[in-house]
This record gives sequence, structure tokens and C-alpha cells, in this order.
Amino acid sequence: MLTYFVIIPVLIAVFLFVFASNKGARVLAILFQAVFVALSLYLLWETRGEEITVVIGDYYGVMGIILRAYTTSAVFMVLCGIVFLAVAIYSFNQSDSRTFWFLLFILQSALVGLFLTRDLFNIFVLVEVSTVIVIILLMYDKKNRNMLSGLVFLMLNIVAMLLYLFGIGYIYMLTGVFDIQRAGELLAYVDYSDKMIPYALIMTGIAFKCSIIPIFSFLPKVKLYPKAPSAVAAILSGVQIKTMVYMFLRMQDMFGDFSSHNFFLAVGIVASLAGVIMAICQTDVKMILAYHTMSQVGLIIIGLSANNEYAMLGGLYHILSHATFKSALFLSIGIIVHSYGTRDVYKIRGVLRRMPIVGMVTLFAVLGITGAPFFIGSISKYFIAADVPFWLNATVIVISLGTIISFIKYAGILFGKDLGAEGDAVKPDIWRIVPSAALGIFCLVGGIFGGHIINFLFPLYDSPASIDTWGYIEKSLIFLGSAVVGFLIYKYIVYGNNTLKRIGRLNIGFRSACAAMGAFFGLIVIFVGVM
Amino acid sequence: MFNLENLDIFAVFMFFLALFGLITARNAIKSIVFTLVMQTAVIMFWLFLSARTGTIPPIIYDQAILYDITAIADPTPQALMLTAIIIGISVSAIKITMLNYLFRKYSTADWYLLHEMQAEEEAENPYN
Repeated sequence: MLTYFVIIPVLIAVFLFVFASNKGARVLAILFQAVFVALSLYLLWETRGEEITVVIGDYYGVMGIILRAYTTSAVFMVLCGIVFLAVAIYSFNQSDSRTFWFLLFILQSALVGLFLTRDLFNIFVLVEVSTVIVIILLMYDKKNRNMLSGLVFLMLNIVAMLLYLFGIGYIYMLTGVFDIQRAGELLAYVDYSDKMIPYALIMTGIAFKCSIIPIFSFLPKVKLYPKAPSAVAAILSGVQIKTMVYMFLRMQDMFGDFSSHNFFLAVGIVASLAGVIMAICQTDVKMILAYHTMSQVGLIIIGLSANNEYAMLGGLYHILSHATFKSALFLSIGIIVHSYGTRDVYKIRGVLRRMPIVGMVTLFAVLGITGAPFFIGSISKYFIAADVPFWLNATVIVISLGTIISFIKYAGILFGKDLGAEGDAVKPDIWRIVPSAALGIFCLVGGIFGGHIINFLFPLYDSPASIDTWGYIEKSLIFLGSAVVGFLIYKYIVYGNNTLKRIGRLNIGFRSACAAMGAFFGLIVIFVGVM
Repeated sequence: MFNLENLDIFAVFMFFLALFGLITARNAIKSIVFTLVMQTAVIMFWLFLSARTGTIPPIIYDQAILYDITAIADPTPQALMLTAIIIGISVSAIKITMLNYLFRKYSTADWYLLHEMQAEEEAENPYN
């Protein structure tokens, strides 16, 4: 059954490659996509508390490629299906280019494959496929492309994946299998000093791909966002980066006894602080969103590395919530930029008046990402900081404060007087509004029913997670306090500050990013060696 | 006979040499070549995993002979490396195509100059 999840998108892709210019065919593809979402929900139901494995080609033991679905991966597949469904509906009238539709669904197949496969080499191949597809999706439009950043992004990704390939070569040398689970079992018997180098190689590759090497791994990528179609940006931020976070989780599981939690905790903190600071410095709406991907992924890594069950749960839920509000933000900003004809955050004003629904979606998503009470971000942030030492709690509050400052700037586009007349004030397309609105509503639903959703999705943890009412109220008060502080900081320090703008234009070339990757590798080796 | 035992050290050395090259080379063509060198190093490493001095190819010539399993070269890494080589070639083709576009536009392949020109373009028209 699991193989169909990989094959169905490929079939849709081939179908659309032939008939993409036909509207009926696109409706059919969207229906198929809805079926995909329904099937993955069914899979989620089936895998509650147990796992399904399929050996491709019926080979004995771990000789063949094994697909494995368990609760966490099924959750991610539902997420993947929903975001792709939203993007497909969003692009319905936007593009009749068959390149776009073909590559969109092939990309989905590769990402679903990444969530399912248990084979180390398969991961390499699928990651390479998804990287190349993303590059082509970003570059095929001749008018809007940033070729240099694309080249740098592609080459850095190739180098990162070569580090990973080198690492799995070592794993094969030590264990003789490519299966993650079996390799994990066998690695327990291998000497600690022998595992250090492959661990460092694999983790450097994965950390680069989930852009948590501070600044260096995200800057080459962030330049691609402003010119990227909003739909592609939503996929990049919403799903593609999450596959690598998921890989991070699995590789940490595979190596087991490395006490590198503190290292990645520090890396996560640095990455999210850097992302927040860079986001405050931006004036381009899409760049603000792009840098927030970096900070939120840092927050997820903090949750996953805090070595604490609640934080882990929070990290996992934050993956979902980030995908929801970030795709909602990207999809709605696509409509707004189309209507206003500019990306300057100080020039767009009065969205709520011009496009009430889109404005409400943006508002909901902004409340979600800043962690306002009753919205989806508050639940995951509550869990991340629920049971951690005081200093880490304070760090999370500082990160939230930074998020609030930059989103006060961003939310400025909603209010004020509509200067108008610059863009052609087109009436927004209903096909674009519906998916954004659905995601926006989910930002609220996921917040109100957050506790139940967490208990439903991640039942593997034996103690059901509960939200302490007083703790939640305390967090809400902290949110209100930091909103006030954030507004004051924005008003008196950030607004129109030229020094910050200059920092925001920071650029990092190919060579320094390579050097950072080498340095990160060295750091992991040193840290793991000393511990 | 040429000893294959220690060649994996050579592969590791070549890998980090290529990383050094990527950090220092200013020309984008050289960077592409260095990624290829890096890839070759990884492939070499994988092949040395499976084939050592004295191993024989994994081909059964005669059903009657019982082969010593430890003496047969492991075919799995070799098969996987074929995939890796194909991926490497196609990705390099994309990289060279993109660089070709950039070279026609800016008539340079120097990373520093390319970044500078892009920064100039952005400063002129930040929200186009």
C-alpha cells in the first residue's frame, strides 16, 4: 500500500504533463490530490501506535529497500498532502505551464518518498531529485529569476549531500547495511571513536540542508525567495525544509548514544536568534517571511534537542504549525504583492480594506507565528518551553520578542490608508483565496484544539500531554507584555533605521559558505570527541 | 602488485583537498571542477570499501566451483555508485548551463565580481 503514495503523484504528474493546458484536467488532478490527502489520513489512522513496513521486491530481511510508515511520518505525509493540495488549488488559474505542473507533483512524490523510506542511499537520491526540481521550479520563468543565487544554492546543496554520501559510505563500512533501523542496532556495537567521523559528516550535510548552520546556510537560499512564485516559496518553507528536519531526527535516532544534544541546542539558539535579527533588518515582505523560516527552524531544533519529552512534542507540533502559518503567509502575500505591485513593506498599506479576506488570513497567520493565545503557534511554543531550565525559557521568550518586532512591521501592511492606484487593483482570484483562507482558519483551529490534536497525532508518548491552564495564562501574559515591549522597540529603534537596513543587505558568497560548512564539520568532531 | 589497502586514506585526503579548493577558488568553473573532484573522491572511497587486493569480481563463471564469499568484491556499492555518477553528471550539466547564462550576462565567472554585480543590480532596483 505504501508504494502507492509515491506512485500516485508521479501518475498525476505524467497526466498533467500531457493535459496541463486543459482546465478539466487540472480539476481532475486537484481531485486526485484530495484523494491523496484522504488516503494519508487513513494511513495516519492505521498507524496509530503501530507501524507498517513494506519491502520493495520482497527481498529477505534488510536486503531490499524498506518503506516504513509510523505515526510521525504519517503526520508529515498528511501535512505534505495538505500543503500541496493548497498550492495546487492556488496555482489553478496562475499557471498552465506543463513544466510547472509536472515538476510540482514529481516534487511531491520525492518528498513523500523521503518521509517513507528507510534506506540511507534512497534518501541521498530523493534529496538530490528534490533539490534539482526546486531549482528548476524557481528558474524556469524567464522574467523572474535570480540565476546567481540559484547556482550558489545548487552547488552548496550538492556539496552538503556529498558530505552525506561520504558519511553513509562509512556507515556501510562499519555495519554492512543501508537500512536505518538495522544500522542503528548494529552501530550500538561499534566503537565510539569509529562513529565520530561519519556522524560529523552526515550531521554537517543534514544541518546544512535544514539551514541551521547560522547565517551561512540560509543566506544563499534566502535571496531566491523574493523572485520565487509564492506557491513554490510555500512549498520550500512549508514542506521541503521539514523533510530535512525529519532526517535530522532520524539520524540522531540512528546514532543513538551521542551526547550532542547540547551542541545542537546551541546551534538552534544561534540560528533562530540570527534569523530573527536578520528578519528585523529587512524591508522586503518576502524576505521577512524567508528569514523567519530560519528562526522557526532554529526553534524546532531547540525543541527537538532539549532532551525533554515535552519540548520534543512541542518541536514536532511546531513543525506542523510552522508549515501551516508559513504557507498561509506566503500564499496570502502572493495575492497582496500581485495586487499592489510592490514588495516594499512600507509602501503596502490598507490590505484589510482592499481585500478583507486576504487581510484576515494574514492577520491570523501573523498571530499564529508570533504565538498569540488561542493560535497555533502558542501551543507549540508553550510545549517547547514547558519543562525546560530557566535560561532556555528566557531564550525562547527573547526569540518570540524578536518575532513580534518584525511581525509588527509586517502587520503594518494590513492597516492604514490605502495609497492604492500603484498596482492594477485586480479583483483577487477565488481559486487563490480559498486555500489561503483554509490555511488561515486552521491557524485558529489548531490553536484552540491544540492539546487534543497533539494527543491524537503523537500518541506514542505514554503520558498524555496536557496544557496547564495557569501556565498557559502566564504565557499569554508574557505574550502581551512582549507585544507592548516589541511595539515600543519597533517604534523608537527599528522604524526607518538605516544601520539595520545595511545589516540586512549582508551577503555571503559561495566560498564563505563552503568554509562555514568545513568549520561546522570540525566543530562537531571536536565537540563529539571531547564529550 | 599495486596495493589497494590504504587507498581509502587517499580518498579522504582528496575529499578534503577538494573542500579546500572550493573555499579558495575564485573562479566558478574551478568550483564546479572541484565539486567533481569531491564527487570522484567519494566514489573512490565507496569502491575501495568493496574491492581490496586479492578480491575477485562478483561473477559466477562456473556453477560447480564453490567461491569463498569473503574473497568476492561486494557489488552493492558499485551498483549504487553508478546511480551517484549519473546524478553527478546531470547536476553538473545543470550547473554548467546556469553558469553559461551568467557568463553571457555578466561576461565573468569570478564569484567576487558576480556577487558584486548582483549587489549593484539589487541596490538599483530592490523591489522590482
